Amino acid sequence: MADAVPLLKGTLDILVLKALSQTPMHGLEITTWLAERSGGELSFDESGVYQALYRMEAKDLIKAEWGVSEHNRKARYYQITARGKRHLASETRTLVRHGQLVAAILTAAPK
Amino acid sequence: MNRPGIRRLFHLGLGRKDVVARETDEEIAAHLALRAEQLERQGMSPEAARAEARRRFGALDAARRDLRRAAQRRGDRVALRNWFDGWRQDVRHAWRSVITEPGFTAVVVIVIALGVGANAAMFAILDRLLLKGPEHVREPRRLTRLSYAATVPGLGRFSDNTFGYVTYTIMRDGARGFSGVAAYSETDAILGEGEHAEPIRVGHATADFFPLLDVGPALGRFFDASEDRPGAARRVVVLGNGIWRRRFGGDAAVVGRTVPIDGASYTVIGVAPEGFTGVELRRVDAWLPMSLREVTAGWPTAWDAQWLKVVARLAPGLTAADASAEATRAFRAAYTGDEEPMKQAAIVANPLWYDDAGNESVEVAVSRWLIGVSLVVLLVACANVANLLLARALRRRREVGVRLALGISRGRLARLLLAESLMLAALGGAAALLMVPLAARLVRHTLLPSVEWTGPPVDPRVLAVAIGLTVFTGLVAGLVPALQAGSRNLIGALRAGVHADGVRTSRLRAALAVAQAAFSVLLLVGAGLFVRSLRQARAVDLGVEPERVLVVDGNWATAGPSTTPDEQERRRVRAASFYDAALAHARRMPEVERAAIAVGTPFHSSFQVRLRVPGRDSIPRLPGGGPKIQAVSPGYFATVGLALLSGRVFDAGDHEGSEPVTVVNATMAATLWPDGDAIGHCVQIGRDEDPPCARVVGIVEDAHRFRLRERPAMQYYVPLGQERRLGFGGSALLVRPYGDPEALVQPLRSALMTDDPGLLWLDIETLESALDPQLRPWRLGATLIGTFGLLALVIAAVGLYSLIAYMVTSRTHELGVRLALGARRLDVVRVVVRSGLTLVTAGLVIGVVLAATLVTRVQHLLFDVSPHDPAVYLTAVGVLIAAAAVACIAPARRATRVDPMVALRAD
Repeated sequence: MADAVPLLKGTLDILVLKALSQTPMHGLEITTWLAERSGGELSFDESGVYQALYRMEAKDLIKAEWGVSEHNRKARYYQITARGKRHLASETRTLVRHGQLVAAILTAAPK
Repeated sequence: MNRPGIRRLFHLGLGRKDVVARETDEEIAAHLALRAEQLERQGMSPEAARAEARRRFGALDAARRDLRRAAQRRGDRVALRNWFDGWRQDVRHAWRSVITEPGFTAVVVIVIALGVGANAAMFAILDRLLLKGPEHVREPRRLTRLSYAATVPGLGRFSDNTFGYVTYTIMRDGARGFSGVAAYSETDAILGEGEHAEPIRVGHATADFFPLLDVGPALGRFFDASEDRPGAARRVVVLGNGIWRRRFGGDAAVVGRTVPIDGASYTVIGVAPEGFTGVELRRVDAWLPMSLREVTAGWPTAWDAQWLKVVARLAPGLTAADASAEATRAFRAAYTGDEEPMKQAAIVANPLWYDDAGNESVEVAVSRWLIGVSLVVLLVACANVANLLLARALRRRREVGVRLALGISRGRLARLLLAESLMLAALGGAAALLMVPLAARLVRHTLLPSVEWTGPPVDPRVLAVAIGLTVFTGLVAGLVPALQAGSRNLIGALRAGVHADGVRTSRLRAALAVAQAAFSVLLLVGAGLFVRSLRQARAVDLGVEPERVLVVDGNWATAGPSTTPDEQERRRVRAASFYDAALAHARRMPEVERAAIAVGTPFHSSFQVRLRVPGRDSIPRLPGGGPKIQAVSPGYFATVGLALLSGRVFDAGDHEGSEPVTVVNATMAATLWPDGDAIGHCVQIGRDEDPPCARVVGIVEDAHRFRLRERPAMQYYVPLGQERRLGFGGSALLVRPYGDPEALVQPLRSALMTDDPGLLWLDIETLESALDPQLRPWRLGATLIGTFGLLALVIAAVGLYSLIAYMVTSRTHELGVRLALGARRLDVVRVVVRSGLTLVTAGLVIGVVLAATLVTRVQHLLFDVSPHDPAVYLTAVGVLIAAAAVACIAPARRATRVDPMVALRAD
């Protein structure tokens, strides 16, 4: 994974939220989900996922409760809230539009 | 019993630090373990898997520290949010129950509104009288009003706050306990001329008065020392804000113009700020330099001319006692007068709201008590609302039972109940704010009319108090049911069903009802005592009939002091000819029954001259003072309603030049001629060496001179005109109309003003209006305590009604059994009424004992009424029992309609 892409600041939150919009997960599941979706190309410390989770929980975008994982281990499960869904929708629109604009400017052919 | 702590109701439950840290560590450990397992399954050795899991997690120690911190922040935020969410839910729930039971809500809201409203209105009054001090005065509590106390032989300890200018200068220049001293006096004057003339209230102030209070003008400036120099004062005036707006249209160009006051021309130099009344609370329309007052020749240094009040600001760090001692020293060192008592007089610095005699004014004292009284009303209201809420909690037992079954915690249930009571209180508080302006206006205008009220009745301070009282009511009224809800007893009772009404609960409700009855009795007794006092004060036989008589007093232009004999004589003749003309004119008017002229008018002025009685070495001194003399025209006695006891009164044959005669009052006749043969005896009146003999021709009743409460004094009368030789004067016309005296004031003024074109104005008022302020404390007490007492009674009756009605509902079964077993309906009524009256009787006993102990402390505020007046107590008890009976009737009737079959089948 020498050519892994480092994550742009702030985008981890929205990616984690996206993961949770599918189904409630615990931290490791989210990490795995992100790795699979990016084909292993995103590079981040896994502790960063927890930073993002705590941050969003404080903002009432997600909520958490203790549960039991498939291998019978205690784990904290996270779930998106109504407010989180709204946040995800609006952030997604903004980020996508932003990405398109940046890409368009950077890749435009010189005149 | 397990009470959920009150603290827990408000407990935020923020994430505790160690718990959060532990959970964070657990979460990290779980992550690492799961990841290691995953890697092992992919073929790594256990050691390599653990190492790889840690590597991917990041620098472990730093990450753990950061995560713990983030988790703590998250924990706090989430806990706070949950707490708010909980309250939001509770409030929403409370609102639902408020609107689904409009009748219940209305009763509770009205009860709270009455309790909070009464208190807020009283606070608004007391705030003005006592707490806030006069408007625009900086640090009014450091400002004092000086009075003197001296021991006068025969009179005892005597205290007064009227001084001469000389005392002001001594205090200003010599008393080092004060950082500033000023003097003022307030009088009536006439502003304008002819048809534009109107009576105004004038304040004469020394130039240092305004800097002392630290007040700035709204417009222009106040006068300075150069304009207030004794003997060289300038005719300048600072207008009051109110009269400036009303009469001058708020025109800034008024500064520099001249206005006539008492016929002399004054230059307007400024306008006082709105609501400025000096250090008193009465309106002042114009401020003039003190040095213009010129009450008598030599006034700046005269000891015997006393007309002004002295105010002083305490020097920093000094107490009033320190400053008083220092002022006393300065006064005694500088006193050069010849009155023995004054040489040893003490100067006392009192708070501004103290009256002339150096005591707290009666209005303030009564208002203080009224605050206590209104707090009692609030307590009754609280007890009542608590009772109503308890009753409802029981009524909603099934709902509560379901909630408990669903696992709601007792603390949470208590919080829910508290949210409901707070919401009801908030509604009640809002209703109270609508009520306060009405109540405050009533009190302001009917009971304290002389106080200048500016600003709205609900200012921020009153609002703050109202909000505080509302929250207090909501908490107090809500806590009882809330704590009850948490008790296992109640919960057990709720689980058990309808009939197992917790014994504790019903006992608590009974106790609340008893307390309400007790407080009501207390207030009714208080009200009764004040009503009796007012009646007694009104019923005092004053000798004269002040409510039937108008006093007419002329005002002429008085430019300059009347210090020269020529000027004095000119003024006397002018007044005498006017009063003669006015007397004849008034007698011609068909509305007028009688009229007379008097020098010395009851409740206005009195005179004393030297009196000798041949055959007696000296005149006995009576505790009421005197002997007092008046000069009156024929018809005076009939005009004021003073009865002749024997002999004759004056007639047309008695005048200035006729034989000196006199009419004496009963006390004088009995004191000087105890044998009962006063008529025909001779008295010598006046300072001369050997005054002519004035023969006693008649004896009349005693009449009060100034006060409602007076000790007997000798009084005698001489024919009008004969006073000139004795050296006193100052006439007034007295008119006794057939009908309502107030209705004649305007017509009489218009008619009599034509008798002298030089007149500026005629003051006309009933004799009674001079007496009226003396009745005010009792009127204030009777009206307000009476109103509060009725409020408490109504609230208590509502409370009793709800309690009895509830009891009837919960005893339907038992009553049904009784009826089924052949009890007559009357028996059922008796059962219900008896239970109501038992509660009330307990309240009565407590209330009467409470009242009997407490009222001794208001004894000094009562007028000729014993604080244990049996009639008052019996009436209060009777009223309460009657109210209780009324409250019991409706539930009792309902009880008789219980259908035994239905009652037995139910539940």
